[in-house]
Amino acid sequence: MIRFEQATVTYPGGVKALDGVDLEIPDGEFVVIVGLSGAGKSTLIRTVNGLVPPTGGSVHVGDREVGQLSKRQLRALRADVGMIFQHFNLVNRTTVLNNVLMGRLNRVPSWRSLLGWWGAAEVEVAMQALEVVEIVDKAYVRAANLSGGQQQRVGIARALAQRPTVLLADEPVASLDPPTSHSVMRYLQKVNRELGITTLVNLHFLDLAREYADRVIGLRGGRLVFDGPGREADEKVFEQIYGRSLTADDVLEAEAAL
Amino acid sequence: MNEPDSAPGAELSTAAADRPRTERPKKPRPSLFMLGGLIGLAAVTIAAGADWRFGVGFSLTEIWDGLTRPNAPMRGLGEIDFGVLTGTRARNGFLETLQMALVSTISGALVALPLALFNSKLGAPNRIAYAAIKLFNNVIRSIPDLLWALLFVAAVGIGALPGMLALFFFSIGVVTKLTSDTIDGIDHGPVEAARASGASHLQMLRTAVFPQVLPAYTSFSMYCFELNLRASAVLGFVGAGGIGAVINDYRISGQWDRVWGVVVGFLIVVIVVERISMMLRRRLL
Amino acid sequence: MSRARIQTANEARFERAVRPEKPFNWFRLVVTVAVVGGFLGAALSVDARWERLPEAPGQLWNIARLMFTDLDLDDLPDALESMWESVAIAWLGTMIAAVLSFPLAFLAAQNISGRVSVVVTRQLLNIPRAIPEIIFAVALIPIFGLGPLAGTVAIGLSSTGTIGKLSAEIIEGCGKGPVEAAAAAGGSKVQRIRWAVIPQVMPEIVAFWLYRFEINIRASAVLGVVGAGGIGTMLQQNIEFRNWGTAGMALIVVVLVTIIIDTVSGAIRRRIIRGPRSVYGHVVQDPQQIV
Repeated sequence: MIRFEQATVTYPGGVKALDGVDLEIPDGEFVVIVGLSGAGKSTLIRTVNGLVPPTGGSVHVGDREVGQLSKRQLRALRADVGMIFQHFNLVNRTTVLNNVLMGRLNRVPSWRSLLGWWGAAEVEVAMQALEVVEIVDKAYVRAANLSGGQQQRVGIARALAQRPTVLLADEPVASLDPPTSHSVMRYLQKVNRELGITTLVNLHFLDLAREYADRVIGLRGGRLVFDGPGREADEKVFEQIYGRSLTADDVLEAEAAL
Repeated sequence: MNEPDSAPGAELSTAAADRPRTERPKKPRPSLFMLGGLIGLAAVTIAAGADWRFGVGFSLTEIWDGLTRPNAPMRGLGEIDFGVLTGTRARNGFLETLQMALVSTISGALVALPLALFNSKLGAPNRIAYAAIKLFNNVIRSIPDLLWALLFVAAVGIGALPGMLALFFFSIGVVTKLTSDTIDGIDHGPVEAARASGASHLQMLRTAVFPQVLPAYTSFSMYCFELNLRASAVLGFVGAGGIGAVINDYRISGQWDRVWGVVVGFLIVVIVVERISMMLRRRLL
Repeated sequence: MSRARIQTANEARFERAVRPEKPFNWFRLVVTVAVVGGFLGAALSVDARWERLPEAPGQLWNIARLMFTDLDLDDLPDALESMWESVAIAWLGTMIAAVLSFPLAFLAAQNISGRVSVVVTRQLLNIPRAIPEIIFAVALIPIFGLGPLAGTVAIGLSSTGTIGKLSAEIIEGCGKGPVEAAAAAGGSKVQRIRWAVIPQVMPEIVAFWLYRFEINIRASAVLGVVGAGGIGTMLQQNIEFRNWGTAGMALIVVVLVTIIIDTVSGAIRRRIIRGPRSVYGHVVQDPQQIV
């Protein structure tokens, strides 16, 4: 269970990215957060793992309050919460396996991780994570030599290698083409269904949101403006969230959706 | 509410275990080339460092012993004498260093400009000229500044003149190399336009290439001035004038307190000039 | 409308147009005056005894002629051995500098360390950058005695400044994404540096070590002038005693070895920056293959 209570984030300089959000996300749910850029989507999911600390209110993950943790506890929380990024955030110059092993940083003694002496058990965890996204054959290829979709699957594997309870995905398909986007979304769905990992995804394509979400959350100006099942989120709802009529840019496959 | 943190880990592994285990790729071996290279480098390092006929006899204990033993240079550093900076000798030395750096940089950079234009594939009139100038420049650049100074001291005797000649050649090498490297990266549009309007090769260089490399060329010339200033502190060690001569005199007579005084003064001059030059160069580019 | 009328109309239009006056370029004037004035002022005031300048080309030609006509192959082994010592000094000195500068670079990088650490380390790195190797060498000779050890330590210390500063700049330029990813996975600061920063910056830093090695060969070739080892001693003594044949041989060896090492090292540097090709030889670009 992830619980936001009046969660507020004010950046230095006075910009309010999140404004009194109340939200409860039960375990195992697939939640898609929609909103225009600047609506606070990225900030919302970053408060869950403390990359952006809430400046007001509280965010609980399980029984841990994100803002009240020591550095060590915060790292332990982050180890339980996997994250996937828009630009994949892989180290391009090293192998896929090394990138995935980054997900094990918090689980191995510091000195061993510094020497790169991971041990067979950790490598096995990483290989299993790569198996889930079906890219294990590329384990020793440099990340730079993969296509965008493959890189994002490595990003998912890195998060899975953490053996997380929660998965955060910040615009995971914004840098990908439509077929690849669907494939990445299907992997996220599979992870959610088969492994029961609570999944929070930021999207700005409403057709993707409707297709994959159990639940859609709409943000506008840092405030919660919609919260309902995916099937209820029709065009009217999106126009209300976006505060304007929809355009072709708001859907992944324009001709199909509108 | 109270959510067990460990459960999903188990789920991941069972989920993975259900699936037929795909074949794991083998960890690729480092290539023979890489392995040979590393072994070669290690061998060179050991050969270079060992205490034998072909090695420098590198040893950490010797370095530690040397540094902890009382010695004149370090004692001098403790009693550093800044008074020497106000004396006429140091003042004349610094002045001469500045004069030498100024004269040699400006004249060297001037000669380097046409050489730089011809030292690029785009600017060279033909392949033979390109190869010849490239070779000439490589030879000039591979002779260190102090070696130029040695040669010119032998040719014209000691003083500021051989120093300036040495820095002149050194500057040609540096500015030509750096500038010609930027010519390879310029916009070819104007070059094409100049050729299309019937310009000769030289006219094309003047109107299409020169304006594009001018800021970089000026910037490199100023950078070269910094290098020359720094280099002129050592030319005096072979009799080629400048502040180096003053440092060398104090060193030979064992007055390390004064050596360090002059060196610190020199450091300040270099850092100040570098700051000013960097500010100007940043505005140029 | 006839052709003539169009022409006159055009001419009339052009005549009426207001031509802008050529703006006076003060900046160019100031720069020209400064450069020309600086050059003349310095050239006239410096105590150079310019009357010797006309003899310089002739003398240099004379020396070059003597050097290359008196060449004696018997000097080659000596020259090669001394040059090897110079290369050894440059190589070991560069390794010393690499080891010293690597931790300092992280202390001097703004995205890794705090303000105090950055300012202090940067200033510390500035000092050896401004002092030429020869000065380090003459200060180290009374400590380590005449010979290559003094030269090696001198090269090491003086390269630490440049390598440290440049490495710090490379570290500051590394991508933030992987660092954020490592933080999101619960990595500590040291782990983030080890797995997100170092793999990104290492190729550039190693390439710069190599580049500095090329520069250090030029420096170590002259350290012998003050007795700190290498081929410089051979050059200096033979030039001083006008043994032009032997000096010429030494000069040829210096130039050739420097150019060869530059070429090889340059190729290795480009290969390091580019990175290895995929072991599988090709990249799967077809997104359909993923699904």
